[in-house]
Amino acid sequence: MAIIETENLSKVYTTGDGAVRALDNLNLSVQQGEIFGYLGPNGAGKTTTIRLFLDLIRPTTGRATIFGLDAQADSVALHRRIGFLPGELNLWRNLTGQEVVNFVGRVRGGYDAAYVRRLVERLQLDLKLRVRAYSSGNRRKLGLLVALMNQPELLILDEPTNGLDPLMQQTFNDLMREAQREGRTVFLSSHVLSEVQAICDRVAVLRAGRLQAVERISDLTRAEFRWVTVRLRDTDTARLDTALAAVPGVSDVTVNGDTIRLRLGGDFDPLLRALSDCYVVDLHVREPSLEEIFLTFYGDRTD
Amino acid sequence: MAGVLFMETLRRSWRQILYWGLALAILGYYAMAVVPDVDALQQYAALLDTIPSFLLQMFGAEDLTALTTPEGFVAFGYYTYALLVLMVYAVLVGMSITANEEDAGILDVLLSLPIPRWRVIMERFAAYTLITIGIVAVGFIGLLAGTQATALEIDIGRLLIGSINLLPPVLMLIAFAACMATTARRRSLAVTVTTSFIIASYFIDFLGKAASHALTDTLSRFSFFTYFDSQGVMIDGLNPANVALLLIVTVVLLAAALWFFERRDIGT
Repeated sequence: MAIIETENLSKVYTTGDGAVRALDNLNLSVQQGEIFGYLGPNGAGKTTTIRLFLDLIRPTTGRATIFGLDAQADSVALHRRIGFLPGELNLWRNLTGQEVVNFVGRVRGGYDAAYVRRLVERLQLDLKLRVRAYSSGNRRKLGLLVALMNQPELLILDEPTNGLDPLMQQTFNDLMREAQREGRTVFLSSHVLSEVQAICDRVAVLRAGRLQAVERISDLTRAEFRWVTVRLRDTDTARLDTALAAVPGVSDVTVNGDTIRLRLGGDFDPLLRALSDCYVVDLHVREPSLEEIFLTFYGDRTD
Repeated sequence: MAGVLFMETLRRSWRQILYWGLALAILGYYAMAVVPDVDALQQYAALLDTIPSFLLQMFGAEDLTALTTPEGFVAFGYYTYALLVLMVYAVLVGMSITANEEDAGILDVLLSLPIPRWRVIMERFAAYTLITIGIVAVGFIGLLAGTQATALEIDIGRLLIGSINLLPPVLMLIAFAACMATTARRRSLAVTVTTSFIIASYFIDFLGKAASHALTDTLSRFSFFTYFDSQGVMIDGLNPANVALLLIVTVVLLAAALWFFERRDIGT
């Protein structure tokens, strides 16, 4: 069942310098119970998409539906079911953390105090402090608490781990997996690829307002190329360098003493045949990181 | 939940009743305490008669005969200046309805909660209306205390009516500032437009009274000061038409604020 669906969703901002197309005909579908990563560099249109989902801004064309309801017309009903963490979190500076929680709780019609206490312990947050006294990391944790406190069916999180230390990032990952186990859906944007790789089921890659790809993380990491490192003995690696560069699918060949590193995009057989006369001491194959795949998407499919 | 923002605004802002109310109370007490006796008032009016009328009107003294009565003197000494104080308050409060939070980026969090946009404006406006009433009430207490410090008999009912007469222009200004904030999007621009509106209204009113001319008379109808008329209220009582007009304008401005706020992007 699709929780979020967009149909040719576009947003054009009109500025003094003219019109800026921040989002261009986005067609996206996020399924129930998945952790969906929304990847892209700064200015790609991630925050614009999220703000359209929350009816903070209105689409120029197209529409978004969440739980089958129109994101604009049914925004209040939807907001009851959504927990949101903005990318640039600003809260009422003169309120204490507890007062922020109480206020949000009242607006949402109450909250489970025991659950909030557990979250506070896990996030190691002191709710007695005023917001202005929080560090940026603690403010982020308070934002997470506010987003999670009513156990919403859908979490929309914009750059959620910005400013969190590695331990807290682990706690965040655990919280997201728990939400997923409970059948809830998570839509998170990020430009930190490793965090998306760690928890997301699927990822959409966005650039300059355009959707580049939507893939399962497992498919992406099984992508079209691998890094191969070969250690040889008694071989003229300098000569081999030229020979390997001519092998179909091989590129980026670098030689360092007895070791050759190359990028292989295709089957292994041509490479193994090219090495058949050599004594191979060691052969190591590494899957590309999501970042490398990401750069490949950008390098190959855009501009 | 309905009323949450109303209660939250009251909870966070009730101290304003004390701060602004105390300022008005001190002004009111002082204005009452310095009311001279009837003879002195007449000498005072004779003295003012030697001053060019446009200068007097610039400082809110509209009718010299009114200044010979204690009520007229209080209208000049308290209500004119109380309105000036409350105009500053109105601009600040008008910005608190949406502009401050929008400028600070907090509105994204608030509007991601199950609250319709119109409720943000309406509940906060309702809360600030209550707070404004509280401020004017504290100011009235200052006036009452001041009656103990003067030998003159002053009609307390008139003082109450004069205080109530402060509410319509202040509420209209809050609505105006809120409307500008929802339209202009930028806090600084909204403050500038609202302040310009107040200054323009003041001078239109002043010119209308100082120079008797068909054009200035017509223009003065567009100034809210014309409908405030504190001296007229103290002498003749509340003018229902003036009050109704200011309240209607308040409602229209609020409706415009809602209309703009419902239809536009937040924080862009």
